[in-house]
Amino acid sequence: MRPEFDEISGKQTTGHEWNGIRELNTPMPKAFRLWLWASIAVAAFMWVLYPSFPLVTGALQGVLGYSARQNVLAAVADGIATREASFAALNEVPLDEFARDPSFRANHEEAFSVLFRDNCSACHGRDAGGQVGFPDLTDGHWLWSGTAEEIEYTLQVGINADHDETRFAQMPAFGRDEWLSQSELSDVAEYVLSLSGQDHDADAAQIGAVVFEDNCASCHNDAGVGGYENGAPSLADDAWIYGSSRAAIMYTLEHGRAGGMPAWSDRLTETEIKQITLYLLWQGQTDG
Amino acid sequence: MTRDLQLLILALATFVVFVMGAAILGLGRGTGYVLHGWLIAAAAGWGLLKVIGHWSDPEPVVPFEYQDRVIKVGVLACFAWGVFGFTIGDVLAWQLAIPDLNGDMAGSNFGRIRPMHTTAVIFGFGGNALIATSFYVVQRTSRARLAGELLPWFVLGGYNLFVVLAVSGYPFGITQSKEYAEPEWYADLILLVTWVGYFTLYMRTLARRVEPHIYVANWYYLGFIVVIAMLHVVNNLAVPVSISVPKSYPIFAGVQDAMTQWWYGHNAVGFLLTAGFLGMMYYFLPKAAERPIYSYRMSILGFWGITFLYLWAGSHHLHYTALPDWVQYLGMTMSIILLVPSWGTVFNGLLTLNGAWDKVRTDPALRFMMVAILFYGLTTFEGSFMALRSVNTLSHYTDWTVGHVHAGALGWVAFMTFGSMYKMVPWVWKRDGIYSLRLEAWHFWLALSGTLIYVGAMWNSGITQSLMWQTYEPSGVFTYAFIDTVDAMIPYYWMRAIGGLLYLIGALIGAYNIAMTVRGARRPEDGTEAGPLAQPAE
Repeated sequence: MRPEFDEISGKQTTGHEWNGIRELNTPMPKAFRLWLWASIAVAAFMWVLYPSFPLVTGALQGVLGYSARQNVLAAVADGIATREASFAALNEVPLDEFARDPSFRANHEEAFSVLFRDNCSACHGRDAGGQVGFPDLTDGHWLWSGTAEEIEYTLQVGINADHDETRFAQMPAFGRDEWLSQSELSDVAEYVLSLSGQDHDADAAQIGAVVFEDNCASCHNDAGVGGYENGAPSLADDAWIYGSSRAAIMYTLEHGRAGGMPAWSDRLTETEIKQITLYLLWQGQTDG
Repeated sequence: MTRDLQLLILALATFVVFVMGAAILGLGRGTGYVLHGWLIAAAAGWGLLKVIGHWSDPEPVVPFEYQDRVIKVGVLACFAWGVFGFTIGDVLAWQLAIPDLNGDMAGSNFGRIRPMHTTAVIFGFGGNALIATSFYVVQRTSRARLAGELLPWFVLGGYNLFVVLAVSGYPFGITQSKEYAEPEWYADLILLVTWVGYFTLYMRTLARRVEPHIYVANWYYLGFIVVIAMLHVVNNLAVPVSISVPKSYPIFAGVQDAMTQWWYGHNAVGFLLTAGFLGMMYYFLPKAAERPIYSYRMSILGFWGITFLYLWAGSHHLHYTALPDWVQYLGMTMSIILLVPSWGTVFNGLLTLNGAWDKVRTDPALRFMMVAILFYGLTTFEGSFMALRSVNTLSHYTDWTVGHVHAGALGWVAFMTFGSMYKMVPWVWKRDGIYSLRLEAWHFWLALSGTLIYVGAMWNSGITQSLMWQTYEPSGVFTYAFIDTVDAMIPYYWMRAIGGLLYLIGALIGAYNIAMTVRGARRPEDGTEAGPLAQPAE
């Protein structure tokens, strides 16, 4: 086929036509050829500098000796060192002193809250106010005591966690495992309601008190005030993890409870755990 | 190949698929999987009956005209999947803005319907557009009828069966969790059989062409078909657990699996969403503009550059991971070079409009194509830019990636599809023109504003989020918690959902316009349309 000329552009075509489509035989613009070679040159330059083509074993390593792995290890070590240096005082001075220091709080609360939001808020809420199944950390009621040492220890070992020293607490399934009869369960529920001053059936509560004495007081203590030594919550206050309704209490009695919190010692540094501890102490101060 | 042999191969392939479907429905456990068994057996059984019926008939007289009926069905499937996929996409966008909209059910959870969206738009909308237009283009540029009477229907039907299986499996949790390659082994096998048919059909049609040369659009379509076959097979190499469950395990593990997956993922973008649609561009753009292609040489550079370089570049999806440095640097450097043939193609497309720029103003379909090329240029530049390791530290794992993908998908792929469809639909249905140019223009402006809002929102969102992630206090601790960066996304997620809604409304108008065109009056034959020159010999 003979090349033709396109009238509008005045350029030669390739001479072919497909269902009315033709192609101009325009040469590749010089700028494009230059750009193509320049790009190849840049790439080739990088192949010299950095790891590039594979060999039979291993690959060309490049003249710079670049290693992403070494770089990231160095950067991580550097970051840890910076943070450890910034908060070295936390490991030297008892936390209680920082907890009572308003200027330290003003300077650091915001930064420490980031750690709490990144690690704890999924369960305990962004405001540390908790939700069903996860305790409020601001109300001054604690399962394992609210001192700095004990909070720090709880953070390190967790509760019912996979840590050798973890805090362990479990409430048996009194109903499901048939430790108590259904009538005993409902009596003891009335008693528990009475402990926190809620509406209850006084007669049933009286019977329930005996059942409580025999089955529950060993952990929850007399009058259900709870105990830090075994993590049993107080039943006589207005702080409830799983709900204070009759139905919620009956469910707990029937099925038992064993809340879990991870052990953070494997994931956070000691200094970071101290930062969260301080943050929690401050939250308790705000509210109560 | 004799007619009997062709029908025998078709019957055998269909029978194998039917047996697989029957085995699944008989031995399978789980609602979704058993439903899939029924679906496969019914579809393949029906196809088998058709083949057998065809076989017993006397050899039909093949009409001396292009095979356009299968194209029409492909166009309708394309729009049906498009509307479905865009709708799910916008639902997802609203779910991200208002998380409670997931209805608190497993089946409507973001994680399960997100692949419904991606599969429906990429494979349902994009794939059907490619199959339909490729059938159109190969016939016109070869001046030959499709090489097979039943095969095109089996390609289109098998392909859509695959998409239905994929999309309907996700709510049931049937997925191999590979992005854009989620369907399990049995759906993959059906696509494989279909794809062999597609490749054979395309090659045999080209082989019977009357034109002395193969037009460039066909290279691109063929590049798409060949590479997708290769990607599909390698990335889906997996061992099914048993016939009774859909689950399978990939044969690659760890970083090899990740590399295979992104070699696949990147080249699905490169060859399905790029090369295939470039094939569309190289036919419909010069046809609509009535201008010659600007430079034959640029199309050669573009084709071989893209074909060679894309296949190296997938590792740029895995910068700063366990992938060895040398693979990352190779992917990055090839991505730098890749920009040249990509932009060469952009210029080739835009300069083809020289002498026809007035039509861009008056013809919304051509405007769709022109803007599609601009978005292609934008996206390939952005892609090469994001492939740089230093830029990637900012863009990776952020909404910027989502914005980049949608600049390509909404702006390039779908714009090119809409532009081509507005041209091709009146041509195959033999209508005077599109039902309403006004509606076509409305579609254009809605789609353009939707895309710009979407992409703009995601650029802002992605960069904001990345900068927040990387901000440290002098003491070395993070300034922002992760949840703070999620809060910061809320306004952008609203913008994205609104942009997506505009795009969806545009697409609905487009679908209506296409439907009304199809229902409209047929143009009287005036004998000006060029028909096939080759007498089909089956």
